[in-house]
Amino acid sequence: MNIKKSILLRIRFAFLVVAIFAGVIFYRITQIQFVEGEEWRKKSDEVNLQYRTVKATRGNIYSGDGSLLATSLPFYRVALDPSIAKDEVFRNGIDSLSIMLSKHYNDKSRDYYKRLISDARSNNKKYVLLNRKQIGYQEMQAMMKWPIFRNGRMGGGVIFEKVEKRFYPFKALAGRTVGFLNEDNYGAGLEYSFNAQLGGENGEALFQKIAGGTWKPVHDANDIKPEDGYDIVTTLDVNLQDVAESALLKQLMNKDAEFGSVIVMEVATGHIKAIANLQKNKNGYGYGELYNYAIGEQGLTEPGSTFKLLSIMALLEEGKINLNDKVETGNGTFKFYDRTMRDVKHGGYGEITIREAFEKSSNVGISRLVEQHFGVTPSKFLDYVEKAGINMPIDFQLKGEGVPYFKKPGSKNWYGTTLPWMSIGYEVKLTPLHTLMLYNAVANNGRMVKPMIVQQISRANVVEQEFKTEVMRKKIASDKTIKELQSLLEGVVENGTAKNIRNADYKIAGKTGTAQKLIDGRYTQKYYASFAGYFPADNPKYSAIVVIDSPKGFNAYGGDVSAPVFKDIADKIFAQDLSLNTKKYKNLVEVDQNQFPMIQAGLAEELQMICSKFGLTNKYEGGERWVKSSVANSAIYWAPNNVDEPIVPDVTGMSLRDALYVLENKGLRVQYSGKGRVKSQSLLAGGNVPTNGIIKLTLG
Amino acid sequence: MGTVKTWIDNNLKGDPIIWGIVILLSIISILVVYSATGTLAYKKMGGNTEAYLIKHSSLILASLFVMWGAHKLPYKYYAKLSLFALWISIPLLAFTYFFGSNVNEASRWLTIPVINQAFQPSDLAKLALIAAVARMLAKRQKNIEDFQNTFLPIMIWIGIICMLIAMANMSTAVLLLCTCLLLMFIGRVPMKFIMAVLLIGGLALTSAIFLGQRGSTFFSRIENFVTGDEVPYQAEQSYIAIANGGVFGLGPGNSEQRNRLPHPYSDFIFAIIIEEYGLVGGAGVLFLYLALLYRGMRVVAISNRPFGGLLSAGLSFALVLQAMVNMAVAVGIGPITGLPLPLLSMGGTSLIFTGISLGIILSVSRGDHEDAFPVEMSTARNFAKVA
Repeated sequence: MNIKKSILLRIRFAFLVVAIFAGVIFYRITQIQFVEGEEWRKKSDEVNLQYRTVKATRGNIYSGDGSLLATSLPFYRVALDPSIAKDEVFRNGIDSLSIMLSKHYNDKSRDYYKRLISDARSNNKKYVLLNRKQIGYQEMQAMMKWPIFRNGRMGGGVIFEKVEKRFYPFKALAGRTVGFLNEDNYGAGLEYSFNAQLGGENGEALFQKIAGGTWKPVHDANDIKPEDGYDIVTTLDVNLQDVAESALLKQLMNKDAEFGSVIVMEVATGHIKAIANLQKNKNGYGYGELYNYAIGEQGLTEPGSTFKLLSIMALLEEGKINLNDKVETGNGTFKFYDRTMRDVKHGGYGEITIREAFEKSSNVGISRLVEQHFGVTPSKFLDYVEKAGINMPIDFQLKGEGVPYFKKPGSKNWYGTTLPWMSIGYEVKLTPLHTLMLYNAVANNGRMVKPMIVQQISRANVVEQEFKTEVMRKKIASDKTIKELQSLLEGVVENGTAKNIRNADYKIAGKTGTAQKLIDGRYTQKYYASFAGYFPADNPKYSAIVVIDSPKGFNAYGGDVSAPVFKDIADKIFAQDLSLNTKKYKNLVEVDQNQFPMIQAGLAEELQMICSKFGLTNKYEGGERWVKSSVANSAIYWAPNNVDEPIVPDVTGMSLRDALYVLENKGLRVQYSGKGRVKSQSLLAGGNVPTNGIIKLTLG
Repeated sequence: MGTVKTWIDNNLKGDPIIWGIVILLSIISILVVYSATGTLAYKKMGGNTEAYLIKHSSLILASLFVMWGAHKLPYKYYAKLSLFALWISIPLLAFTYFFGSNVNEASRWLTIPVINQAFQPSDLAKLALIAAVARMLAKRQKNIEDFQNTFLPIMIWIGIICMLIAMANMSTAVLLLCTCLLLMFIGRVPMKFIMAVLLIGGLALTSAIFLGQRGSTFFSRIENFVTGDEVPYQAEQSYIAIANGGVFGLGPGNSEQRNRLPHPYSDFIFAIIIEEYGLVGGAGVLFLYLALLYRGMRVVAISNRPFGGLLSAGLSFALVLQAMVNMAVAVGIGPITGLPLPLLSMGGTSLIFTGISLGIILSVSRGDHEDAFPVEMSTARNFAKVA
């Protein structure tokens, strides 16, 4: 046989094998189609597969000081596959399980649960939802120890279905600013404005429906993994937010007002430290955060006298006036065309300086000056508005920012009376945020920064995007003008309409505003009282605006209604912010060098910190958490004070807070009298701890 | 019409039936892949289903072009090229194993810089090895029974390449080994030597199972298939597709299982073909592969030189064997391997290498290239014509 023939023969043989193999494949196809066909087609109907979204975990929202404002927590719905548990497990566990379920949910009887599960089991059901109520993670951990449940998904048939829920640890605090997102992806505040970043990318995976309506993932190469959302770090300060909200709430309740807003901002950076918006609840009881009036569309309103700051700025910049020039306010009324301008004071202020006109907030004075200098060229006045940067929305980080409204000279609705009224804050519309920007720029020596509320977007520890302070206008007016404006604003508090908030500790600068509310085209007897300003006036750190809508009662002026809220907030910030009052209390109290410090006992860690801060030499050898003080070589020595022994501890010298903690941990009930630190205790230290014993402490 | 025919006569040389089969399969491929990538396009391309259609079609066109180019070259040059390619593929395979990109936990892909196209060096190695084995067998036909000079060098090459491939891609390695064994059988190597290769190959593969990356998957798949107590998800979905198809199928683009079957456009494309085109379509595809093999076999009969015959036989069998294995998996007579269906599955560079294989088969089938052997000078002119 020659080579070629042999090769050909072998190839034919191989071909035959392949052909037979192809025949087998064909045979197998026919078998699948005709013999097993029915079975597979049935399975195709049964096996319910679906691509379902796998939700990405939503990012957190943090305050500037690191507190968690919003987060996503897992919750669970508890269901059971009653067919899984073995007879023995089921019989032994069903009674106690029913009791525990009934006790936990506290809605249905134990018999109900027992019947529910037993019936489902005898009907061979694969799924029964035990209760609609969702439970937390801790509860789930506890439930996993219950009978039947403790045999797990495979042995006991328990199913914990995870549902993610948005959780706000500070509840309603800054509620409208943190915001929300409903199921249609519509909402408000940060949750809505930063939804793209917070939301992440939902994934998709193939799921198979298993009996009872639950979906089991079928792992597949085509699955798209969900990408979790980014975290957002805001500039908000939880403490300041709390201060702002409680101060506002107090005044709103006091004045039975409709709503009020507060914004607190850091002067140099434009970081918003607090935004409070409180509004009467629909049912008339109490106040809640229902709309962001500080920033939003509905917060647009005629600002009133706070706008006079801009009028004076324009006049000063124009170089036409001197603050000591006189202006005639006459008897407090002045007629522009067919409308009469009135001052608050009946009978008027007569002839006063421009400074006085501003400090007393004379409508006649300011409007006459503006009409006199800009009456012929009103567009020049508006140029100054533009220069100040408050005529346009600023593209604030929260969606829904109100768009400032200014009439245009020459347009149809521009009347002869428009400019005078505009000069005192009517016929224009601003949000509190825009007004605050102007005041902040004055506080910041003319440099206008853009208010911001989100400073960082990150995931885990990786910073994705950082927002830096943006300067909108390097200088809104000359240095000279700014200095004069600052002195005017200080004057308002020193001698003017906000004299009531003047105090000795620190200086506030600001301006009151009281605007009559325009309702259905008519000015009513309802007011919009505001105060915008900054503090400490010498070296401004914070600026803030307080607006209160429709306060009731006799004094509805900005100075009476809003300025006190401002002061409340400023006081608290001042007291809390160490950087604001370092030098203040030096040499306030004469300390007797030989007198032993007040601190006598407490937590070692805390005491050491305090002493170190005050530069007191102190020594501690470690060991115990609790210590008592003694003196060694003119330094403080912390002697260990063992409170863990099962005996009555020595709490003398401790603060009440510490003493309560230590004693109540021993199971003692504490009664106390007096003020200060613990002077004596009724149960002798070192004695046995009586059960349910009472210990009396004398403080002093 | 006349001009088209003369153009075809002048440019598409070689076996016309092979040309026809390849073009027919390419058309089927475009149709089925377009249908099967619906889900993928929906998820990855934002619903732009044409994205995959265009990408796949252009790859098919490219592979046809490569095939045309390869069939222009006299096949004797493939003898030298194969050895060269074999030498390159060793470092490439090793490099890919250590530094290649991971897909499903096995590094099989290497991204070519500049054109940024991922390619599997195993495709190149496969082609090179078959051509090289064909050449070595052809050269040693006179003393084919010599163990030391004939059998040993061939076995060493097969061992090295299969080992390297096996580390990352067991299925391909096993299939390649089988193809080489078949080729050796056709090339008249004594059965006792083939048995020895089987033994050594088996040993090498077992060691790769324990050392390599994909060993455990491969092992579990085989175990699963052998014990067979549970039908794997993919297989179940594949059966459903086949059962749904019936005799005449649901019609082009009407597959339902494409949304449930993993990789409906590659590993399980045969199931989708049956679902859409029925038993008739499935049988048609089977027939086309057998016809391709048959024509490849006829080339051997025409060829006057053992190299041409063995080259054509080796490449035809490599291609059709892989097709058979893929289809066997889809109908459930083999463990799930993850091998694509040549000529039909969507896939990047493997299509190009399939094109080269077919081009070489066609080059052998031309017959006129036979003349290139005795007269070296004429090939230079031939070459110039190609360029």
